[in-house]
Amino acid sequence: MVAIIDYGLGNLASVQKALNFLKIESIITDKPEEIKKAHVILLPGVGSFAHGMQNLRDKKLDLLLTEEVIQNKKKFIGICLGMQLIAETGTEPTITPGLGWIKGTIKKIEANGLRIPHIGWNNIECVKPDYFNEVEDKDFYFIHSYHFVPENENVVAAYVNYGGKLVAAIQHENIFATQFHPEKSQNSGLTLLKNFFEKC
Amino acid sequence: MLKARIIPILTFNGFGLVKTKKFSNPRMVGNPVQAARVYNQRGVDELVFLDIFASEQKRKINLKLVADVIKECYMPVAIGGGITTIEDITNLLKIGADKVVIKSKALTDIDFIKQAVNVFGSQCITIAVDAHKTESGYKIHNKSGLDISLDDFLKSMTECEVGEFVVTSVDNDGMMNGFDNDLINYVLSKTAIPVIAVGGGGDMTHYSDLFTKTKTEAVGSASIFHFTQYTPLDIKNEIKKINIPVRI
Repeated sequence: MVAIIDYGLGNLASVQKALNFLKIESIITDKPEEIKKAHVILLPGVGSFAHGMQNLRDKKLDLLLTEEVIQNKKKFIGICLGMQLIAETGTEPTITPGLGWIKGTIKKIEANGLRIPHIGWNNIECVKPDYFNEVEDKDFYFIHSYHFVPENENVVAAYVNYGGKLVAAIQHENIFATQFHPEKSQNSGLTLLKNFFEKC
Repeated sequence: MLKARIIPILTFNGFGLVKTKKFSNPRMVGNPVQAARVYNQRGVDELVFLDIFASEQKRKINLKLVADVIKECYMPVAIGGGITTIEDITNLLKIGADKVVIKSKALTDIDFIKQAVNVFGSQCITIAVDAHKTESGYKIHNKSGLDISLDDFLKSMTECEVGEFVVTSVDNDGMMNGFDNDLINYVLSKTAIPVIAVGGGGDMTHYSDLFTKTKTEAVGSASIFHFTQYTPLDIKNEIKKINIPVRI
């Protein structure tokens, strides 16, 4: 069972639709007992960093998720804002502490002469192929103005080029997260999700 | 490398799909759910779905119908029509919309747009810029009798840090006689926010023309898909010939 975390900001329906398509059981929830029971935690997200953290804190999910993912080493997948929130610090719109599972900061994209947000299909460059079988260099759907600047590059699973190398995916121990939206990236995205959940 | 996006635009009247000419004379062109299914099978880059009468008729968008459309889509979907509150946006996101498209409310309530960006992030808020040519420059088309210049509107929306502009030439809408490249270039020069160019695509040369004469990274179309045999893939193959990166 996958717990899709409901913190009032995610694109929950799209994520669950993709999992349904892959015949992966999931539940949209903010209930501690259901989250504790699940074998994978999925944190989706559309919205601003500060607002996302506020909602997690209001529901006391920040502590619960940290306990499950960091102490209990439960498998975790974060998508878009759900990837950014695992950083130590966000800057959207003001400096805000994140969940702090991966050392790094969320910064505004500075792409000289390029349009912000980075919206559309862009090919990735995979450096940790574990979950990227058949989609190592495929186009995925990105939509973001901020990006993850990790303290240590060895957590990066894939890069994307937009005015420079940006982090497209992170993989560290039981944590996997993508800046792009696999649930919106048609066959490539579904393949990636299938790869990930097969290893859960 | 970021790929150029070819985006079918589905406009509907609350029940069925309609296509206008110059924003008038809506003509029924089919069923929204079936259309979404076909576009999903064709693997289009993105879909824009607009209830073009919601604001005028002072009603909310039909969430049940929108949910049925989104169920067909494994690609990004932007939804618009009659959005006036934060709750309207939340409702659309809940059923799987990735972006919302706002027009009428943006003309009169800049604070609402700022608030929406603050709550949902820039990437979620797309603004429809419906421009028509007048003797005193481009103006924003509206049915409320407001006199708003394209310049002023772009400036205020750019300051709100919205995520994207869907820029439609009202004069070329449904005419299938080519894009208003001057309009698109003008908008691109005034803002650093991404733009979807809309209005006038009728044959392949119009698209190669648009991508040659402007630096747009996305194009939206309706009539060409309703009334000709051309598909989004045909457009991609066409602009690929002039070295525009596309996802095939």
